[in-house]
Amino acid sequence: MEIFQGVLYGFQVALQPINLLYCFIGVFVGTLVGVLPGIGPAAAIALLLPSTFAASPVSAIIMLAGVYYGAMYGGSTTSILVNIPGEAASVVTAMDGYAMARQGRAGPALGISAFGSFIAGTLSVIALTFLAPLLARVSLSFGPPEYFALMLLGITLVTYFAQGSMLKALMMASAGLLLGTVGADTISGRQRFVFGIQTLADGIGLVPVIMGLFGISEVLLNLEQAGGRTREIFASPTRGLLPNREDWRRSAMPILRGSILGFFLGILPGSGAIIASFASYAVEKRASKTPERFGTGMIEGVAGPEAANNAAAGGGFIPLLTLGIPANAVMAILLGALMIHGLQPGPLLVKQAPDVFWGIITSMYVGNVMLLVLNLPLIGLWVRLLKTPYQLLFPLILLFCLIGTYSLSNNVGDGIVMLVFGILGYLLKKFDFEGAPLILAMVIGPMMEEALRQSLILSAGSFTIFLERPISAGFILAAALLLILPLITRRSGVAKAWRSVPEESAE
Amino acid sequence: MNKDLVGSLFWLGVAVFAAVHGFALGLGTVQRPGPGLFPFWGGVVLGLLSLPLLIRALSTAERLSLSGIRWWTLGLVAGALLGYLLFLEPLGFALVTFLFLFLLFRLEHAGWARSAMWSLLATAGSWALFGLWLKTQLPRGPWGF
Repeated sequence: MEIFQGVLYGFQVALQPINLLYCFIGVFVGTLVGVLPGIGPAAAIALLLPSTFAASPVSAIIMLAGVYYGAMYGGSTTSILVNIPGEAASVVTAMDGYAMARQGRAGPALGISAFGSFIAGTLSVIALTFLAPLLARVSLSFGPPEYFALMLLGITLVTYFAQGSMLKALMMASAGLLLGTVGADTISGRQRFVFGIQTLADGIGLVPVIMGLFGISEVLLNLEQAGGRTREIFASPTRGLLPNREDWRRSAMPILRGSILGFFLGILPGSGAIIASFASYAVEKRASKTPERFGTGMIEGVAGPEAANNAAAGGGFIPLLTLGIPANAVMAILLGALMIHGLQPGPLLVKQAPDVFWGIITSMYVGNVMLLVLNLPLIGLWVRLLKTPYQLLFPLILLFCLIGTYSLSNNVGDGIVMLVFGILGYLLKKFDFEGAPLILAMVIGPMMEEALRQSLILSAGSFTIFLERPISAGFILAAALLLILPLITRRSGVAKAWRSVPEESAE
Repeated sequence: MNKDLVGSLFWLGVAVFAAVHGFALGLGTVQRPGPGLFPFWGGVVLGLLSLPLLIRALSTAERLSLSGIRWWTLGLVAGALLGYLLFLEPLGFALVTFLFLFLLFRLEHAGWARSAMWSLLATAGSWALFGLWLKTQLPRGPWGF
């Protein structure tokens, strides 16, 4: 009954007026970010982070989490109406969703994606409610070797699920690990890679790096080709949003399958919402009696992936809340946010800060209801926003990134870091490298190094400690398999399927 | 020259740099790992991973194509960002923000008057949002705003 009490307590926290307000701002901004191409949830959360310094930790995280799952809702709107996914996780939605819009069925497509997202979001939060405390208890028995092995597996998974070449993803992960070592060494106190630069003394800030890699570089990519982005908005969608009985009958199973699939893929580091939506599309196509009609406006192809990407957003919280390990770039910033507010995410969070733990989880129920209420009537507003010309939008995105980094510590140095990573991020994309493994490794790196060094001190210098302990041996074995597998066989259908994601929307 | 050649050489350079710096910091012993251990081995791994990419790149005929990219525009945007950061504290938020926005609006061919109006509105709006509402400490210029 511990869980039941926790949920009740969580609702008491989440339903406080101030937290309702923060939740509302979060899902609203999230939907906005999801609608507008050119800025993703990771950059948006990084941007909003400084504005939460004055808030309580619970309110701050509730708002930032809202941005994430709100963006999943918003992304589908643009996919369906203009064939431009505002978010990478909505790329597949465009295939059948846009086809439906062309047939004059934009309303039901938007409707089913909102309802599907709501159902999946709710199901995943219910699963999270039961699984998270359980996992937290299991991971309490983890020592440094288990943590090191788990993080190694996490990084391997990220590279395994990478969009392009796994070799390049592994290179990005190693580069990220190196970036994580910049600054004072936690054990000896020695300065590493600092070279007298004040800004680097405390390490490279996560927020400027994310804003550079996912914000600035995105703008540069959009500007590199001449010719504005003109978009034509297809149907006037404001009437007839409700799916009919036939639509519901066809969508019920895809939503359920998408929810389950998305939730479990969301837990795995590196896969998250994008892979989940692609996997769900593939599953629905296989399960369908008329797979050849996918791409021509099949509602199953909208309902499944939309459910999956929302469920994955929920699942992604599990490793963060129970192990303190982020599953994707967004979770990495949330990890940073928790630490800024003086909380250490991990197995002890549920004991040390039950208000935060249960407050976040239950706020997602609340947020999902808000999104449903917010999205259906406001679709007209989102469509109008989409018409904002990019020449008006990009200077504002850049300005917000500048103010956001500056306000972190009133220090121009962070802005320079952002600029450097913006240019680096642009070049990385030009040369087919991905930013996500780099970010994740950069965040996990310092924790991994500490775990490695503690393990070696524990074992008096013997590396066999990682293989002698069953849990850590299991993780290492799994990581090794993932590394060897692609050398023998081709990578899984899922990883291959989603390589067709347009590169510019890969984050 | 092709994409992977440039990419692999760049990361190979980073790898060598990291490994050398890590070695200089001291690797310590296996019982007492030093501060340089992780950077050193990180550099070694990155270097080893760059090699297959380098070998593959040397054996392909594909050529790097960078035509059609508006380097001037990209350079100007990067320059504007740098200028913003350099002049933010000496000149204050309001003026620098206005100039920054004006330049970027003009860059994508908005008219003079329209650019000036948008920049003014956006500067005032962002000052209200960040300065007044979110209480961000925005630097003031010598003239007090």
